[in-house]
Amino acid sequence: MFAHAYMILGIVVAAFLAAKVLRLSTELSMLAAAFAAAVYHGVVWSGEFPLRHIVEGTFTYFDVCLIFISATFFMALVKESGGVAFIVRRIVGAFHSHRFICLLLLTFVMLIPGALTGSGATSVLTVGALVGSVLSAMGVDETRKAAAIFMTAAMSAAAPPINLWAMMAAAGANMPYVGFNGPLAVLSLLGALFSMFWLAGRASSDAHISREDALARLPEAPEGMNWLRVLLPFVVFGGLLAAGRIWPFDFPIIGLPMIFMLSACMVWLLSPVKLRVWRVLSDTVRNLLPLVGIMVVVGALIQILALSGARGVISLHVVILPLTTLFATLFIILPVSEGILQYAVAPLLGVPLIMLFNMKGMDPIVALSAMSVLWPLGDCLPPTAVIGRAAVMELHYEGRYYSDFVRACLIPMLFIAVCCTLFLIYSKQLAFLAV
Amino acid sequence: MDRLTRIKWIAAVLCAASALWAGVEFYEMRHYKEPVVLGPGVTQVQKLSAYEPSLAGTVNDCNVYILDSGRPGGTVLLIGGTHPEEPATNLTAQIFVENAKPEAGRLIVVTRANTSGSLYSRNGEAYPSFYEIKTSWGSKKWRLGDRAGSPLDSWPDPEVYVHYPSRQLLAYMDIRNLNRCWPGRPNGLLVERTTYGMAQMIRSLGVDVVVDLHEAELEYAVENTIVAHEKAQEIAAMASMMLTSTEFEVPIGMEFSPTALHGLSHREVGDHTPAMSLLYEVAEPLLDRIRGVTDQKLVLEGKDDFVVEAGKHKLLYAPIDENGWHIDVRVGRHISTFLQCLDIFSMMNPERTITITGVPRYAEVKEKGVGAFFHDPSKAAKDRVEYD
Repeated sequence: MFAHAYMILGIVVAAFLAAKVLRLSTELSMLAAAFAAAVYHGVVWSGEFPLRHIVEGTFTYFDVCLIFISATFFMALVKESGGVAFIVRRIVGAFHSHRFICLLLLTFVMLIPGALTGSGATSVLTVGALVGSVLSAMGVDETRKAAAIFMTAAMSAAAPPINLWAMMAAAGANMPYVGFNGPLAVLSLLGALFSMFWLAGRASSDAHISREDALARLPEAPEGMNWLRVLLPFVVFGGLLAAGRIWPFDFPIIGLPMIFMLSACMVWLLSPVKLRVWRVLSDTVRNLLPLVGIMVVVGALIQILALSGARGVISLHVVILPLTTLFATLFIILPVSEGILQYAVAPLLGVPLIMLFNMKGMDPIVALSAMSVLWPLGDCLPPTAVIGRAAVMELHYEGRYYSDFVRACLIPMLFIAVCCTLFLIYSKQLAFLAV
Repeated sequence: MDRLTRIKWIAAVLCAASALWAGVEFYEMRHYKEPVVLGPGVTQVQKLSAYEPSLAGTVNDCNVYILDSGRPGGTVLLIGGTHPEEPATNLTAQIFVENAKPEAGRLIVVTRANTSGSLYSRNGEAYPSFYEIKTSWGSKKWRLGDRAGSPLDSWPDPEVYVHYPSRQLLAYMDIRNLNRCWPGRPNGLLVERTTYGMAQMIRSLGVDVVVDLHEAELEYAVENTIVAHEKAQEIAAMASMMLTSTEFEVPIGMEFSPTALHGLSHREVGDHTPAMSLLYEVAEPLLDRIRGVTDQKLVLEGKDDFVVEAGKHKLLYAPIDENGWHIDVRVGRHISTFLQCLDIFSMMNPERTITITGVPRYAEVKEKGVGAFFHDPSKAAKDRVEYD
């Protein structure tokens, strides 16, 4: 059984690399790896091609994909209606001369879209360019600006209430996704604030840019836009979530995707400009295709790995590692594996790790939260580098990707890695956060 | 037609063909009916909707098998199939339906408590859709299924599941998990209404003892044990001692039902109905994350090299060797534990005695195999065959 599982892993790696050499996308390369492993397992072990498992696996994260798409559609409509431009202009207008408050508020603007959707890409695509413009106006150089946008976007994906890595790993370990808000909020806020202030705390040039010049660099908010129009959709979102918790036995269960869609309807109703809803929806789906594609394919790959025992052998080798080795290496292993496999790492490595930590008497919620903040750091690493590439594209960054952009991210990454490792080691003592 | 369009068309056709291929197996699983031959003790078969009318016409309107001795005594409810991915539970329950003869009191059996969960497979886990057990008259087939009810029957899930009536927050998918939905509510989602129906049945039929059968991964701490509500602690403790000293090679433990953990049968049935509640666990390597190849062999034989390796590193809560945890062992333990608890209950409550004969105990199931205790539906009278 061990030999079969190792052979499957070898085939997965070989097929993935071969597909990459042939310049297939990451998601298609993963699909090729899943098919190759399925063919081998079918021929050598079961005697039938496990097509049912590939199809079934593609639906593993169906609910997560629906949440992802509906949440991003909601945020895209907020942007299209001029809501994001309105908020950013108001922040610059009011706090241009107060760098500390300005950066603080911009950090929150970056965090909200990712926190609501679980996707750093959503933060980059909806508010990244605008926040980037403000940072430029504040004298932050291009490299540090791109790094700040990426780091805060990565932390937004980790921020509660929706952290896809924690959700997927918790679901795999039969663990309620409850109690994560505290530890995730502390770590992601610390990480985002440190990143923003480290990278943009001081202007790179002495040139002072006036408030008027700064505002001139930003797109105009449409006439008629006001705080009520911007905030009411968020109030509807929060209200529907709260109603489900306050009156759980009377309020109809409509699900998170519908809550996002109703909030999106509110944006459409309140928008001072006519929204091209269909175009925004099409763009949203088009922009998200690579990420949704990865989640669909990851589901299929994981199911084939589970079928053939390859998932088991990975899990086994993870859980028999000494804890000290894990503490000393996870801050590297998790981001690197995220760069390779994206969300697939959560069920693949997260589930056995969380079961091991639970068995060793650690607090599983704090430990999984720490891991779930480490994972998005790898979103700028090869071969996928989804969020990192999205950030440099959105900001039209012209510097060198690894030696300038990724290098600028290293200190904030190190800070976050240290915080997360401490949360792992002292998870039991920090269990009070998981309420 | 340009190259890209041609590629898109080919991809669409391949996807449609794959969906069709897989869809045939999904359809077969969703519509396969498991025959149950009514044994000599079965006096009536009801539907759960008799106790919660909103279940009528739903997949969870399961059969309720009543085996009445016609003599005074107590009433016990045996629940199998709470988590369909735990096959020893519905097999144990079905062995009682096909073989048991109550001599005193009344036995009520549900073999497929959460039928919805048995109609689909869990995404990502690669479970087989079916498993087959050899009998003297041929092979008999059952659906495997998932831990929770199917999203096809209950969707969407809430953002977070707020348990009724404790208001404890649970994972969203647990609103489809039958053993997180006790005591249920009549205006809830499908699985909440299912547990409500069973709670109503317990009240209206005056059930004294409720036993909920389960299996658990070896990495899970609650393993090879009886979890007991306060009302049933003495029975569980005595059964645990007697079974360990007289029947089982691997001891069976006893645990108190936690008071702060809600939705589980061992807590809520005891709290919200007059019955005492017990939950049995036995080891099932199929459920372990570190398992090897996932197939029907693992479901039935419970042998797995990876789980054995994890045991060598002291990462398990149950022992395992190259013999694994065979389905005969798992079913046999559940049957003996149930019979032992009934004996102790009857001894402690002589006026509510429940006596059941015709059912094998652990050693006999191990020797003959579970297949020996299922009867050929093609040979049975038509009115003595039901379908789950």
